[in-house]
Amino acid sequence: MSFLGGGIFSGMAVTLRNFVGSYFDPDRLTTNDYSWRPEGQLPQSAGEYPREEGEQLSDATTVTNYSRNFPMLLHDGGDNPMDAIRCVACQICERECPPQCIYIEKDYGEDGKFIKRPAVFDIDVSVCMSCQICVEVCPFDAIVMNSQFELSTPNRFDGLLLRREDLLKSNGYYHRIHPEEAAQRDQRMAEEKAAKEAKKKAAAEAAKKKAEEKARAEAEAKAQEETGDKEEEAQ
Amino acid sequence: MSFELVVAILIATVPLLVIFPSLFALTTWLERKALARIQNRRGPNKVGIPCTRIGLFGLGQPAADGIKMLFKEDIVPNGADRLFHLLAPILALIPAMLVLCFLPLDFSFVAVWDESIAKDIKAVQGFALDGAVIFFFAITGINTLSVFMAGWASRNKYSLLGGMRAIAQMISYEIPLVLSAVVVVMMVGSLNAKEIADAQMGWNWYVFTPWGLAAFIIFFIAALAETNRSPFDLPEAESELIAGYFTEYSGFKFALFFLGEYISMFAISGLAAVLFLGGGEGPWVAVYPWLAVGWFLAKIFSLIFVMIWLRGTLPRLRVDQLMAFAWKFLLPISIINILISGIAWHLREQGAAVTAGVWGVSLGILYVTAVGLNKLNRANVKPREYKYAE
Repeated sequence: MSFLGGGIFSGMAVTLRNFVGSYFDPDRLTTNDYSWRPEGQLPQSAGEYPREEGEQLSDATTVTNYSRNFPMLLHDGGDNPMDAIRCVACQICERECPPQCIYIEKDYGEDGKFIKRPAVFDIDVSVCMSCQICVEVCPFDAIVMNSQFELSTPNRFDGLLLRREDLLKSNGYYHRIHPEEAAQRDQRMAEEKAAKEAKKKAAAEAAKKKAEEKARAEAEAKAQEETGDKEEEAQ
Repeated sequence: MSFELVVAILIATVPLLVIFPSLFALTTWLERKALARIQNRRGPNKVGIPCTRIGLFGLGQPAADGIKMLFKEDIVPNGADRLFHLLAPILALIPAMLVLCFLPLDFSFVAVWDESIAKDIKAVQGFALDGAVIFFFAITGINTLSVFMAGWASRNKYSLLGGMRAIAQMISYEIPLVLSAVVVVMMVGSLNAKEIADAQMGWNWYVFTPWGLAAFIIFFIAALAETNRSPFDLPEAESELIAGYFTEYSGFKFALFFLGEYISMFAISGLAAVLFLGGGEGPWVAVYPWLAVGWFLAKIFSLIFVMIWLRGTLPRLRVDQLMAFAWKFLLPISIINILISGIAWHLREQGAAVTAGVWGVSLGILYVTAVGLNKLNRANVKPREYKYAE
């Protein structure tokens, strides 16, 4: 709605839809506490919460495909995820992060040469404000938002500091939790890659053409020189 | 004082003191329930009949809250001004209860057994006072004092900040509130709440006129700010100031603040209903006069529901946005609205064509003014720029 104050009315329409909908659609009531557990078996400590990748508490506590909580790092499969990590430790997200909750250290090989991956990648989720700016700025599609919300822990310092290993998730997991977004991202990455390759090919062809032209020009010059020599000789 | 007069005074006042505090309990339940449903939760649903598992949709929650409040320890901080710490919640409640008597709730139908008592009741009711609207605004002004008293006496920086914010906000929004009420007072030519309500008989509600609609919207926005309701709940912004001016209050003193806040919500919604929504007018009132009280309460409750709905919808404003909105938007438009309604009053009853012209022109002027003020006040906001990426 584009008239003055129309934004308030469209916002009120959204809340009214939720207000009425929650009476008719039981699927909307997402906070069904822990009633899926047998009575008397409520979780006693944080360790009892599900820790498996992508596992949610119950069917009643579904998380929609559009839910975002804290960032995670992506890798492209493989037995050793660190080899296929997309992050190259460029530190753009670290610098753009408004509450500065990301800490990155670059990885160096034995010869002291920079390997394009992070040695340390920590996110302090007690500071993170879930703004998704790191996701927006990442040029390598290496950091995306996770929807895991069950992060309670008995230790509020180390427990809430997510290490590189905690953050690493496979692209398949990303496809499971955010199918639409992951498909779009993959498509865009493939297009960008194709465009890059086409450009590379074009550049290579241009270089080849240039080289050929240069060679031809050189050959012509040589031929001219030779004919000149002959002419001189003839004279 | 004769016995009949005492009975009349009791009938005129006791229902106010009974109905509104019990409606307060119901409203806290309604608010929690509505907010929960807006956020796709269930809200209070466990507390019902004691010692059984009957939930009654959580209707026992207000009673449980009240009992809890009574038994909580009453803490006064070290170094707080004990006298004013005690006085502030009382002063928050008294003006709120006092202004209720300026709402045209006519209880004279109760005295069916004696015509003279009914007459006496009509005579002692507060809204029959010439100048009831003035009294209303004068007495609600005391609310500001109680809020600042609470903030000052608590000896807590959050309380004090909340109190200062409340002073700035309530004084700023009082002006558009009063100026939008002036429109109706001008049209009726009376400050008597009963006469204002009677002038709107036959569905001639002021909200159905262009100037009345604009005044109603301004009045409602200013009323939200006056009663510290979201999105103008800066004096008690819990994410910034813990609980604002009543941070240091616990137990029954806190409950009194809570009660005072809700009662003033009822009072200001009631005034909105009197000024713009025809008071107790509604279907079948002519047949059953007692229905007027029902319609009046229904109007109050629908306004309260809109307040709750807005609380579930809108985020809180920043302090500078709040002040700018009062002084740079609401104040100019309410002054222009007064001019328009004055011209409309002079051009009244001159045929349908003139009326239609006045309505169209005033609607146009009001809309153009609102859009223009909005354009003028719009902050120059740019999209976020990334320093390091690309």
